[in-house]
Amino acid sequence: MAKQLMKGNEAIARAAMLGGLDAFFGYPITPQNEVPEYLSRYMLEEGKVFVQSESEVAAINMVYGAAAAGFRAMTSSSSPGIALKQEGITYLCGSELPCVICSVMRGGPGLGSIQPSQGDYNQATRGGGNGDYHVIVFAPETIQETIDIMKEAFDIADYYRNPVMILVDGLIGQMMESVDLTKPVKKRFLPEKDFATTGTNHHSRRNVVNSLYLESAELEAHNLALKKKYDKVIINDTRYELINMEDPDYVIVAFGTMSRVCRSAIETLAEKKIRVGIIRPISLWPFPNRAFETIDAPHLKGILVVEMNLGQMLTDVIVANNGKYPIGFYGRAGGVVPDPSDVVNAIGHFKDLVVK
Amino acid sequence: MKRITFVTGYFGSGKTEVALNLAIQKRVNILVDLDIVNPYFRSREQEPLLKELGIRTISSGLINSPHADLPFLAKEVYIPFHDQSLSAVYDLGGSGSGARLIRQFKDYLPNAEVDLLFCVNINREVTNTAEKIIEEIQIIETSGGVKPTGLINNSNFLKETTVEDVIAGEEVLQIVAKATKLPIVYTGIVASLDRDDLQVAGEKIILKLYFNKHWL
Repeated sequence: MAKQLMKGNEAIARAAMLGGLDAFFGYPITPQNEVPEYLSRYMLEEGKVFVQSESEVAAINMVYGAAAAGFRAMTSSSSPGIALKQEGITYLCGSELPCVICSVMRGGPGLGSIQPSQGDYNQATRGGGNGDYHVIVFAPETIQETIDIMKEAFDIADYYRNPVMILVDGLIGQMMESVDLTKPVKKRFLPEKDFATTGTNHHSRRNVVNSLYLESAELEAHNLALKKKYDKVIINDTRYELINMEDPDYVIVAFGTMSRVCRSAIETLAEKKIRVGIIRPISLWPFPNRAFETIDAPHLKGILVVEMNLGQMLTDVIVANNGKYPIGFYGRAGGVVPDPSDVVNAIGHFKDLVVK
Repeated sequence: MKRITFVTGYFGSGKTEVALNLAIQKRVNILVDLDIVNPYFRSREQEPLLKELGIRTISSGLINSPHADLPFLAKEVYIPFHDQSLSAVYDLGGSGSGARLIRQFKDYLPNAEVDLLFCVNINREVTNTAEKIIEEIQIIETSGGVKPTGLINNSNFLKETTVEDVIAGEEVLQIVAKATKLPIVYTGIVASLDRDDLQVAGEKIILKLYFNKHWL
Protein backbone atom coordinates (compact mmCIF):
# COMPACT_ATOMS: atom_id res chain seq x y z
CA MET A 1 0.00 0.00 0.00
CA ALA A 2 1.28 3.43 -0.86
CA LYS A 3 1.79 6.40 1.37
CA GLN A 4 -1.42 8.01 2.60
CA LEU A 5 -2.59 10.78 4.87
CA MET A 6 -4.07 9.53 8.12
CA LYS A 7 -5.38 10.99 11.29
CA GLY A 8 -3.72 9.55 14.41
CA ASN A 9 -6.88 7.89 15.68
CA GLU A 10 -7.65 6.32 12.30
CA ALA A 11 -4.07 5.08 12.15
CA ILE A 12 -4.40 3.47 15.59
CA ALA A 13 -7.54 1.68 14.42
CA ARG A 14 -6.12 0.50 11.10
CA ALA A 15 -2.82 -0.57 12.67
CA ALA A 16 -4.72 -2.55 15.31
CA MET A 17 -6.52 -4.39 12.50
CA LEU A 18 -3.21 -5.04 10.77
CA GLY A 19 -1.92 -6.34 14.10
CA GLY A 20 -4.63 -8.97 14.15
CA LEU A 21 -7.40 -7.36 16.18
CA ASP A 22 -10.31 -9.80 16.49
CA ALA A 23 -12.65 -7.88 18.75
CA PHE A 24 -13.01 -4.24 19.80
CA PHE A 25 -15.09 -3.02 22.74
CA GLY A 26 -15.37 0.65 23.58
CA TYR A 27 -17.46 3.59 24.61
CA PRO A 28 -17.17 7.02 22.91
CA ILE A 29 -15.14 9.84 24.42
CA THR A 30 -13.35 12.82 22.89
CA PRO A 31 -10.58 12.99 21.65
CA GLN A 32 -10.39 9.31 20.66
CA ASN A 33 -13.76 8.91 18.94
CA GLU A 34 -12.30 8.25 15.50
CA VAL A 35 -10.83 4.97 16.81
CA PRO A 36 -14.21 3.28 17.41
CA GLU A 37 -15.77 5.19 14.51
CA TYR A 38 -13.19 3.79 12.12
CA LEU A 39 -13.40 0.28 13.55
CA SER A 40 -17.20 0.30 13.44
CA ARG A 41 -16.90 0.91 9.72
CA TYR A 42 -14.26 -1.69 8.89
CA MET A 43 -14.34 -4.47 11.53
CA LEU A 44 -17.76 -5.81 10.56
CA GLU A 45 -16.80 -5.69 6.87
CA GLU A 46 -14.00 -8.13 7.68
CA GLY A 47 -16.18 -10.37 9.81
CA LYS A 48 -14.62 -9.19 13.06
CA VAL A 49 -16.30 -8.09 16.28
CA PHE A 50 -17.09 -4.47 17.09
CA VAL A 51 -19.20 -3.60 20.12
CA GLN A 52 -20.08 -0.16 21.40
CA SER A 53 -20.60 -1.12 25.00
CA GLU A 54 -22.90 0.54 27.49
CA SER A 55 -19.98 1.91 29.50
CA GLU A 56 -16.20 1.91 29.79
CA VAL A 57 -16.42 -0.58 32.65
CA ALA A 58 -18.42 -2.95 30.47
CA ALA A 59 -15.94 -2.53 27.62
CA ILE A 60 -12.86 -3.52 29.62
CA ASN A 61 -14.70 -6.55 31.02
CA MET A 62 -15.74 -7.57 27.52
CA VAL A 63 -12.06 -7.36 26.61
CA TYR A 64 -11.38 -9.68 29.54
CA GLY A 65 -13.91 -12.16 28.20
CA ALA A 66 -12.65 -12.07 24.63
CA ALA A 67 -9.01 -12.31 25.74
CA ALA A 68 -9.87 -15.26 28.00
CA ALA A 69 -11.39 -16.99 24.99
CA GLY A 70 -8.09 -16.56 23.16
CA PHE A 71 -8.96 -13.64 20.90
CA ARG A 72 -6.98 -10.49 20.23
CA ALA A 73 -9.10 -7.89 22.01
CA MET A 74 -8.76 -4.17 22.41
CA THR A 75 -10.43 -1.18 24.01
CA SER A 76 -9.78 2.50 23.54
CA SER A 77 -10.65 5.55 25.59
CA SER A 78 -9.45 8.86 26.97
CA SER A 79 -8.45 9.98 30.46
CA PRO A 80 -11.68 9.74 32.53
CA GLY A 81 -12.66 6.65 30.53
CA ILE A 82 -9.34 4.96 31.24
CA ALA A 83 -9.89 5.82 34.91
CA LEU A 84 -13.11 3.79 34.78
CA LYS A 85 -11.25 0.82 33.29
CA GLN A 86 -8.70 0.49 36.09
CA GLU A 87 -10.45 -2.35 37.89
CA GLY A 88 -10.67 -4.35 34.68
CA ILE A 89 -7.00 -3.71 33.95
CA THR A 90 -5.77 -5.16 37.25
CA TYR A 91 -8.01 -8.21 36.72
CA LEU A 92 -6.52 -8.67 33.24
CA CYS A 93 -3.02 -8.45 34.71
CA GLY A 94 -3.89 -10.77 37.57
CA SER A 95 -5.37 -13.33 35.20
CA GLU A 96 -2.48 -12.86 32.78
CA LEU A 97 -4.67 -12.00 29.85
CA PRO A 98 -3.21 -10.30 26.79
CA CYS A 99 -4.99 -7.28 25.35
CA VAL A 100 -4.31 -3.81 23.99
CA ILE A 101 -5.60 -0.62 25.58
CA CYS A 102 -5.38 2.63 23.70
CA SER A 103 -5.38 5.81 25.79
CA VAL A 104 -5.66 9.21 24.10
CA MET A 105 -4.98 11.71 26.87
CA ARG A 106 -6.91 14.90 27.48
CA GLY A 107 -6.74 17.49 30.25
CA GLY A 108 -7.65 16.49 33.82
CA PRO A 109 -8.35 15.91 36.67
CA GLY A 110 -12.02 15.00 36.66
CA LEU A 111 -13.82 15.85 33.44
CA GLY A 112 -10.97 18.28 32.69
CA SER A 113 -10.89 19.39 29.08
CA ILE A 114 -10.80 17.78 25.66
CA GLN A 115 -7.49 19.36 24.69
CA PRO A 116 -4.20 17.39 24.56
CA SER A 117 -2.35 16.56 27.76
CA GLN A 118 0.16 14.12 29.20
CA GLY A 119 -1.54 14.18 32.57
CA ASP A 120 -2.09 10.42 32.61
CA TYR A 121 1.55 9.37 32.83
CA ASN A 122 0.99 8.18 36.39
CA GLN A 123 -2.37 6.63 35.51
CA ALA A 124 -0.71 4.60 32.75
CA THR A 125 2.51 3.60 34.50
CA ARG A 126 1.21 3.21 38.07
CA GLY A 127 -2.44 2.57 37.40
CA GLY A 128 -5.36 2.80 39.74
CA GLY A 129 -5.90 -0.90 40.06
CA ASN A 130 -5.00 -2.97 43.11
CA GLY A 131 -2.05 -5.23 43.70
CA ASP A 132 1.41 -5.73 42.27
CA TYR A 133 0.93 -5.38 38.55
CA HIS A 134 2.31 -3.55 35.54
CA VAL A 135 0.89 -2.57 32.20
CA ILE A 136 3.44 -2.33 29.39
CA VAL A 137 3.11 1.27 28.17
CA PHE A 138 4.40 2.70 24.90
CA ALA A 139 4.27 6.41 24.06
CA PRO A 140 4.98 7.06 20.37
CA GLU A 141 5.73 10.57 19.10
CA THR A 142 4.59 10.38 15.46
CA ILE A 143 1.66 8.74 13.72
CA GLN A 144 4.08 6.46 11.86
CA GLU A 145 5.62 5.31 15.13
CA THR A 146 2.11 4.84 16.58
CA ILE A 147 1.30 2.53 13.66
CA ASP A 148 4.53 0.56 13.99
CA ILE A 149 4.07 0.00 17.73
CA MET A 150 0.36 -0.69 17.42
CA LYS A 151 1.00 -3.38 14.81
CA GLU A 152 3.41 -5.07 17.21
CA ALA A 153 1.33 -4.52 20.34
CA PHE A 154 -0.76 -7.71 20.14
CA ASP A 155 2.38 -9.81 19.69
CA ILE A 156 3.94 -8.21 22.76
CA ALA A 157 0.72 -8.70 24.73
CA ASP A 158 0.47 -12.36 23.68
CA TYR A 159 4.15 -12.98 24.31
CA TYR A 160 3.97 -11.79 27.90
CA ARG A 161 0.27 -12.54 28.46
CA ASN A 162 -0.14 -9.01 29.72
CA PRO A 163 -2.06 -5.86 28.73
CA VAL A 164 -0.16 -3.41 26.52
CA MET A 165 -1.13 0.24 26.50
CA ILE A 166 -0.56 2.69 23.66
CA LEU A 167 -0.47 6.12 25.28
CA VAL A 168 -0.77 9.23 23.11
CA ASP A 169 -2.10 12.71 23.76
CA GLY A 170 -5.09 14.19 21.96
CA LEU A 171 -2.87 16.00 19.48
CA ILE A 172 -1.41 12.77 18.10
CA GLY A 173 -4.92 11.33 18.00
CA GLN A 174 -6.30 14.28 16.08
CA MET A 175 -3.48 15.43 13.84
CA MET A 176 -2.76 14.12 10.36
CA GLU A 177 0.48 12.87 8.88
CA SER A 178 1.52 10.95 5.84
CA VAL A 179 2.15 7.33 6.79
CA ASP A 180 3.15 3.94 5.43
CA LEU A 181 1.13 1.04 6.81
CA THR A 182 3.31 -1.64 5.27
CA LYS A 183 6.47 -1.39 7.37
CA PRO A 184 7.25 -4.90 8.63
CA VAL A 185 6.95 -5.82 12.30
CA LYS A 186 9.58 -7.66 14.34
CA LYS A 187 8.73 -11.37 14.43
CA ARG A 188 8.37 -13.07 17.79
CA PHE A 189 7.89 -16.64 18.83
CA LEU A 190 4.41 -16.67 20.32
CA PRO A 191 3.35 -19.37 22.74
CA GLU A 192 0.17 -21.27 22.02
CA LYS A 193 -2.81 -19.86 23.92
CA ASP A 194 -3.30 -23.00 25.98
CA PHE A 195 -4.92 -20.95 28.74
CA ALA A 196 -7.89 -19.99 26.57
CA THR A 197 -11.39 -21.12 27.47
CA THR A 198 -12.26 -22.52 24.07
CA GLY A 199 -14.32 -25.49 25.25
CA THR A 200 -12.91 -28.81 26.38
CA ASN A 201 -13.34 -30.46 22.99
CA HIS A 202 -14.00 -33.82 24.75
CA HIS A 203 -10.68 -33.67 26.59
CA SER A 204 -10.71 -33.85 30.33
CA ARG A 205 -8.69 -30.65 30.89
CA ARG A 206 -10.73 -27.58 31.76
CA ASN A 207 -9.24 -24.07 31.54
CA VAL A 208 -10.09 -21.59 34.25
CA VAL A 209 -9.13 -17.94 33.84
CA ASN A 210 -9.04 -16.33 37.23
CA SER A 211 -7.18 -13.89 39.45
CA LEU A 212 -8.44 -15.26 42.78
CA TYR A 213 -5.92 -17.10 44.99
CA LEU A 214 -7.28 -17.50 48.50
CA GLU A 215 -4.21 -19.23 49.92
CA SER A 216 -1.46 -16.73 50.79
CA ALA A 217 1.36 -18.99 49.71
CA GLU A 218 -0.34 -19.68 46.42
CA LEU A 219 -0.94 -15.98 45.73
CA GLU A 220 2.61 -15.10 46.69
CA ALA A 221 3.88 -17.70 44.23
CA HIS A 222 1.66 -16.09 41.59
CA ASN A 223 2.99 -12.63 42.53
CA LEU A 224 6.56 -13.84 42.22
CA ALA A 225 5.85 -15.42 38.86
CA LEU A 226 4.39 -12.12 37.66
CA LYS A 227 7.44 -10.31 39.01
CA LYS A 228 9.70 -12.63 37.07
CA LYS A 229 7.70 -11.87 33.93
CA TYR A 230 7.89 -8.11 34.51
CA ASP A 231 11.67 -8.38 34.99
CA LYS A 232 11.82 -10.06 31.59
CA VAL A 233 9.84 -7.18 30.06
CA ILE A 234 12.31 -4.72 31.59
CA ILE A 235 15.25 -6.56 30.02
CA ASN A 236 13.72 -7.20 26.60
CA ASP A 237 11.26 -4.44 25.84
CA THR A 238 12.54 -1.23 27.40
CA ARG A 239 12.64 1.25 24.55
CA TYR A 240 14.04 4.73 24.16
CA GLU A 241 15.74 7.01 21.69
CA LEU A 242 18.86 9.08 22.30
CA ILE A 243 19.02 12.29 20.30
CA ASN A 244 22.10 14.50 20.00
CA MET A 245 23.70 12.98 23.11
CA GLU A 246 27.35 13.71 22.29
CA ASP A 247 28.82 15.92 24.99
CA PRO A 248 25.66 17.93 25.70
CA ASP A 249 25.45 20.98 28.01
CA TYR A 250 21.95 19.90 28.99
CA VAL A 251 19.80 16.83 28.51
CA ILE A 252 16.03 17.08 28.03
CA VAL A 253 13.79 14.14 28.88
CA ALA A 254 10.49 14.24 27.00
CA PHE A 255 8.07 11.79 25.37
CA GLY A 256 5.27 11.87 22.79
CA THR A 257 4.20 15.25 21.42
CA MET A 258 6.49 16.98 23.91
CA SER A 259 9.61 15.38 22.45
CA ARG A 260 8.67 16.76 19.03
CA VAL A 261 8.48 20.26 20.46
CA CYS A 262 11.86 19.68 22.14
CA ARG A 263 13.45 18.44 18.89
CA SER A 264 12.63 21.81 17.39
CA ALA A 265 13.82 23.66 20.51
CA ILE A 266 17.27 22.02 20.54
CA GLU A 267 17.87 23.22 16.97
CA THR A 268 17.29 26.81 18.10
CA LEU A 269 19.53 26.19 21.12
CA ALA A 270 22.28 24.81 18.87
CA GLU A 271 22.23 28.11 16.95
CA LYS A 272 22.91 29.79 20.31
CA LYS A 273 25.84 27.40 20.84
CA ILE A 274 24.05 25.52 23.61
CA ARG A 275 24.32 21.77 23.02
CA VAL A 276 21.23 19.95 24.23
CA GLY A 277 20.52 16.23 23.92
CA ILE A 278 17.21 14.44 24.36
CA ILE A 279 16.42 11.16 26.07
CA ARG A 280 13.08 10.11 24.63
CA PRO A 281 11.43 7.27 26.53
CA ILE A 282 9.34 5.20 24.12
CA SER A 283 8.34 2.65 26.75
CA LEU A 284 7.12 4.54 29.82
CA TRP A 285 6.81 1.29 31.72
CA PRO A 286 9.38 -0.14 31.70
CA PHE A 287 11.00 3.25 32.16
CA PRO A 288 14.38 3.44 30.39
CA ASN A 289 16.59 3.76 33.46
CA ARG A 290 19.49 2.37 31.48
CA ALA A 291 19.42 5.38 29.14
CA PHE A 292 20.60 7.48 32.07
CA GLU A 293 23.45 5.13 32.82
CA THR A 294 24.82 5.78 29.32
CA ILE A 295 25.08 9.55 29.81
CA ASP A 296 28.72 10.43 29.25
CA ALA A 297 28.82 14.20 29.38
CA PRO A 298 31.67 15.97 31.18
CA HIS A 299 30.06 19.38 30.56
CA LEU A 300 26.52 18.44 31.56
CA LYS A 301 24.95 21.19 33.67
CA GLY A 302 21.70 19.36 34.30
CA ILE A 303 18.70 17.39 33.11
CA LEU A 304 15.46 19.18 32.21
CA VAL A 305 12.27 17.14 32.29
CA VAL A 306 9.61 18.62 30.01
CA GLU A 307 6.05 17.34 30.16
CA MET A 308 2.50 18.39 29.35
CA ASN A 309 1.63 17.91 33.02
CA LEU A 310 2.99 19.32 36.26
CA GLY A 311 5.71 16.73 36.88
CA GLN A 312 4.81 13.04 36.66
CA MET A 313 7.61 11.39 34.67
CA LEU A 314 9.83 13.66 36.75
CA THR A 315 9.69 11.11 39.59
CA ASP A 316 11.03 8.35 37.35
CA VAL A 317 13.81 10.60 36.07
CA ILE A 318 14.84 11.49 39.64
CA VAL A 319 15.10 7.79 40.44
CA ALA A 320 16.97 6.97 37.21
CA ASN A 321 19.38 9.88 37.67
CA ASN A 322 20.14 8.69 41.20
CA GLY A 323 21.47 12.07 42.34
CA LYS A 324 24.09 12.36 39.63
CA TYR A 325 23.04 15.61 37.92
CA PRO A 326 20.78 18.52 38.91
CA ILE A 327 17.23 17.99 37.64
CA GLY A 328 14.93 20.79 36.51
CA PHE A 329 11.31 20.67 35.44
CA TYR A 330 9.23 22.60 32.94
CA GLY A 331 5.63 21.63 32.32
CA ARG A 332 2.37 23.01 31.02
CA ALA A 333 -1.03 21.59 31.83
CA GLY A 334 -4.71 21.93 31.10
CA GLY A 335 -4.41 21.28 27.39
CA VAL A 336 -1.71 23.87 26.70
CA VAL A 337 0.97 22.60 24.28
CA PRO A 338 4.25 24.44 24.92
CA ASP A 339 5.95 26.11 21.99
CA PRO A 340 9.62 25.34 21.22
CA SER A 341 10.44 28.88 22.37
CA ASP A 342 9.08 28.01 25.84
CA VAL A 343 11.52 25.10 26.02
CA VAL A 344 14.38 27.32 24.82
CA ASN A 345 13.53 29.78 27.61
CA ALA A 346 13.33 26.98 30.15
CA ILE A 347 16.88 25.87 29.29
CA GLY A 348 17.95 29.53 29.59
CA HIS A 349 16.50 29.66 33.10
CA PHE A 350 17.49 26.14 34.08
CA LYS A 351 18.85 27.24 37.48
CA ASP A 352 15.44 28.58 38.49
CA LEU A 353 13.75 25.35 37.48
CA VAL A 354 15.92 22.94 39.45
CA VAL A 355 13.80 20.73 41.70
CA LYS A 356 16.35 18.16 42.88
CA MET B 1 -16.69 33.40 -6.09
CA LYS B 2 -20.34 33.27 -5.13
CA ARG B 3 -21.50 35.43 -2.26
CA ILE B 4 -21.81 32.41 0.02
CA THR B 5 -19.55 29.33 -0.15
CA PHE B 6 -20.06 26.22 1.94
CA VAL B 7 -17.03 23.92 2.17
CA THR B 8 -17.79 20.26 2.84
CA GLY B 9 -15.94 16.97 2.37
CA TYR B 10 -14.74 13.78 3.99
CA PHE B 11 -13.10 14.48 7.33
CA GLY B 12 -9.40 15.19 7.04
CA SER B 13 -9.72 16.43 3.46
CA GLY B 14 -8.45 19.86 4.49
CA LYS B 15 -11.81 21.66 4.49
CA THR B 16 -10.92 23.94 7.36
CA GLU B 17 -7.59 25.09 5.91
CA VAL B 18 -9.28 25.66 2.55
CA ALA B 19 -12.19 27.53 4.15
CA LEU B 20 -9.81 29.74 6.14
CA ASN B 21 -7.63 30.50 3.14
CA LEU B 22 -10.68 31.26 1.00
CA ALA B 23 -12.14 33.55 3.64
CA ILE B 24 -8.86 35.39 4.11
CA GLN B 25 -7.81 35.66 0.48
CA LYS B 26 -11.25 36.66 -0.76
CA ARG B 27 -11.68 38.99 2.20
CA VAL B 28 -15.22 37.81 2.90
CA ASN B 29 -17.14 39.52 5.66
CA ILE B 30 -17.93 36.44 7.71
CA LEU B 31 -16.51 33.00 8.38
CA VAL B 32 -19.10 30.66 9.83
CA ASP B 33 -17.69 27.61 11.61
CA LEU B 34 -20.35 24.90 11.53
CA ASP B 35 -18.01 22.14 12.73
CA ILE B 36 -19.58 20.52 15.76
CA VAL B 37 -18.05 17.12 14.97
CA ASN B 38 -14.36 17.62 15.61
CA PRO B 39 -13.16 19.48 18.69
CA TYR B 40 -9.62 20.03 17.35
CA PHE B 41 -8.35 22.22 14.50
CA ARG B 42 -11.56 24.18 14.06
CA SER B 43 -11.59 27.48 12.19
CA ARG B 44 -13.02 29.29 15.22
CA GLU B 45 -9.58 28.86 16.86
CA GLN B 46 -8.34 31.44 14.33
CA GLU B 47 -10.85 34.07 15.47
CA PRO B 48 -8.16 36.51 16.75
CA LEU B 49 -6.37 36.46 13.37
CA LEU B 50 -9.63 36.76 11.43
CA LYS B 51 -10.70 39.67 13.61
CA GLU B 52 -7.45 41.47 12.84
CA LEU B 53 -8.20 41.02 9.15
CA GLY B 54 -11.71 42.41 9.59
CA ILE B 55 -13.45 39.04 9.18
CA ARG B 56 -16.16 38.19 11.67
CA THR B 57 -16.20 34.64 13.05
CA ILE B 58 -19.53 33.06 13.91
CA SER B 59 -19.66 29.71 15.66
CA SER B 60 -21.15 28.59 18.95
CA GLY B 61 -21.81 32.10 20.21
CA LEU B 62 -19.85 31.39 23.38
CA ILE B 63 -17.27 34.10 23.99
CA ASN B 64 -13.65 32.93 24.21
CA SER B 65 -14.53 29.25 24.05
CA PRO B 66 -12.81 27.91 20.95
CA HIS B 67 -12.43 24.46 22.53
CA ALA B 68 -15.92 23.89 23.90
CA ASP B 69 -17.31 20.49 22.92
CA LEU B 70 -20.90 21.68 22.75
CA PRO B 71 -23.04 20.79 19.76
CA PHE B 72 -24.84 24.06 19.24
CA LEU B 73 -24.50 27.14 17.05
CA ALA B 74 -25.33 30.80 17.42
CA LYS B 75 -28.47 32.09 15.68
CA GLU B 76 -26.15 34.54 13.88
CA VAL B 77 -25.22 31.75 11.45
CA TYR B 78 -28.23 32.89 9.37
CA ILE B 79 -27.03 36.50 9.00
CA PRO B 80 -25.47 36.12 5.52
CA PHE B 81 -28.78 34.76 4.21
CA HIS B 82 -30.65 37.82 5.43
CA ASP B 83 -28.18 40.58 4.59
CA GLN B 84 -27.42 40.43 0.86
CA SER B 85 -24.49 42.82 1.28
CA LEU B 86 -22.43 40.28 3.23
CA SER B 87 -20.18 37.60 1.78
CA ALA B 88 -19.40 34.47 3.77
CA VAL B 89 -17.56 31.17 3.88
CA TYR B 90 -19.20 28.32 5.81
CA ASP B 91 -16.85 25.66 7.18
CA LEU B 92 -18.80 22.44 7.72
CA GLY B 93 -17.77 19.49 9.87
CA GLY B 94 -16.46 16.37 8.17
CA SER B 95 -18.38 13.74 6.24
CA GLY B 96 -22.10 13.06 6.42
CA SER B 97 -22.42 13.86 10.11
CA GLY B 98 -20.88 17.28 9.51
CA ALA B 99 -22.88 17.95 6.35
CA ARG B 100 -26.13 17.25 8.21
CA LEU B 101 -25.93 20.81 9.53
CA ILE B 102 -26.75 22.19 6.08
CA ARG B 103 -30.31 21.04 6.68
CA GLN B 104 -31.00 24.00 8.94
CA PHE B 105 -30.56 26.25 5.89
CA LYS B 106 -33.07 24.29 3.79
CA ASP B 107 -35.46 27.25 3.60
CA TYR B 108 -32.73 29.20 1.76
CA LEU B 109 -31.35 26.48 -0.49
CA PRO B 110 -30.70 25.86 -3.31
CA ASN B 111 -29.82 29.45 -4.06
CA ALA B 112 -28.05 30.99 -7.07
CA GLU B 113 -25.83 32.94 -4.70
CA VAL B 114 -24.64 29.85 -2.82
CA ASP B 115 -21.96 27.31 -3.66
CA LEU B 116 -21.60 24.00 -1.83
CA LEU B 117 -18.11 22.76 -2.63
CA PHE B 118 -16.89 19.24 -1.97
CA CYS B 119 -13.24 19.26 -0.92
CA VAL B 120 -11.15 16.18 -1.80
CA ASN B 121 -7.71 14.90 -0.87
CA ILE B 122 -7.15 11.70 -2.84
CA ASN B 123 -4.52 10.62 -0.32
CA ARG B 124 -7.26 9.82 2.16
CA GLU B 125 -8.30 6.17 2.26
CA VAL B 126 -12.02 6.89 1.80
CA THR B 127 -11.57 9.20 -1.20
CA ASN B 128 -8.68 7.62 -3.09
CA THR B 129 -10.66 6.60 -6.19
CA ALA B 130 -13.26 8.32 -8.35
CA GLU B 131 -15.90 5.72 -7.35
CA LYS B 132 -15.31 6.29 -3.64
CA ILE B 133 -15.40 10.08 -4.07
CA ILE B 134 -18.73 9.86 -5.88
CA GLU B 135 -20.05 7.67 -3.07
CA GLU B 136 -18.95 10.27 -0.48
CA ILE B 137 -20.59 13.06 -2.48
CA GLN B 138 -23.82 11.05 -2.37
CA ILE B 139 -23.47 10.63 1.40
CA ILE B 140 -23.04 14.40 1.78
CA GLU B 141 -26.06 15.00 -0.44
CA THR B 142 -28.20 12.54 1.52
CA SER B 143 -27.14 13.95 4.89
CA GLY B 144 -27.26 17.61 3.95
CA GLY B 145 -30.28 17.43 1.68
CA VAL B 146 -28.51 19.62 -0.90
CA LYS B 147 -26.50 18.65 -3.93
CA PRO B 148 -22.92 19.94 -4.02
CA THR B 149 -22.31 22.49 -6.79
CA GLY B 150 -18.60 21.98 -7.31
CA LEU B 151 -15.35 20.28 -6.34
CA ILE B 152 -12.12 21.40 -4.71
CA ASN B 153 -8.94 19.48 -5.44
CA ASN B 154 -6.97 19.63 -2.20
CA SER B 155 -4.81 16.55 -2.75
CA ASN B 156 -1.77 16.84 -0.52
CA PHE B 157 0.65 15.20 1.89
CA LEU B 158 0.91 18.37 4.01
CA LYS B 159 4.52 19.59 3.97
CA GLU B 160 5.65 16.65 1.84
CA THR B 161 3.30 17.47 -1.06
CA THR B 162 4.74 17.46 -4.57
CA VAL B 163 3.30 18.95 -7.77
CA GLU B 164 2.73 15.35 -8.93
CA ASP B 165 0.42 14.80 -5.94
CA VAL B 166 -1.69 17.78 -6.99
CA ILE B 167 -1.83 16.57 -10.60
CA ALA B 168 -2.70 13.01 -9.50
CA GLY B 169 -5.62 14.45 -7.54
CA GLU B 170 -6.74 16.46 -10.52
CA GLU B 171 -6.73 13.40 -12.77
CA VAL B 172 -9.05 11.53 -10.41
CA LEU B 173 -11.26 14.57 -9.91
CA GLN B 174 -11.62 15.06 -13.68
CA ILE B 175 -13.26 11.62 -13.79
CA VAL B 176 -15.54 12.62 -10.91
CA ALA B 177 -16.32 15.93 -12.60
CA LYS B 178 -17.32 14.14 -15.78
CA ALA B 179 -19.51 11.61 -13.98
CA THR B 180 -21.21 14.08 -11.63
CA LYS B 181 -21.19 17.14 -13.92
CA LEU B 182 -19.68 19.12 -11.05
CA PRO B 183 -16.90 21.53 -12.02
CA ILE B 184 -13.54 21.69 -10.23
CA VAL B 185 -13.88 25.19 -8.81
CA TYR B 186 -10.62 25.46 -6.88
CA THR B 187 -7.29 23.69 -6.60
CA GLY B 188 -5.46 24.11 -3.31
CA ILE B 189 -1.69 24.34 -3.50
CA VAL B 190 0.72 24.70 -0.58
CA ALA B 191 2.51 28.02 -0.99
CA SER B 192 5.98 26.44 -1.34
CA LEU B 193 4.86 24.44 -4.40
CA ASP B 194 3.39 27.21 -6.51
CA ARG B 195 4.97 28.17 -9.81
CA ASP B 196 3.66 30.70 -12.31
CA ASP B 197 3.56 28.08 -15.06
CA LEU B 198 1.63 25.58 -12.96
CA GLN B 199 -1.72 25.14 -14.69
CA VAL B 200 -4.49 23.56 -12.65
CA ALA B 201 -8.21 23.02 -12.95
CA GLY B 202 -10.33 25.87 -11.62
CA GLU B 203 -8.94 28.75 -9.64
CA LYS B 204 -5.63 28.26 -7.85
CA ILE B 205 -5.79 28.82 -4.09
CA ILE B 206 -2.35 29.21 -2.56
CA LEU B 207 -2.65 27.63 0.85
CA LYS B 208 -1.07 28.89 3.99
CA LEU B 209 -1.36 26.12 6.60
CA TYR B 210 -2.73 27.88 9.66
CA PHE B 211 -2.93 24.76 11.83
CA ASN B 212 0.31 23.03 10.89
CA LYS B 213 2.76 24.02 13.63
CA HIS B 214 6.34 24.42 12.45
CA TRP B 215 7.56 21.75 14.87
CA LEU B 216 5.16 19.13 13.54
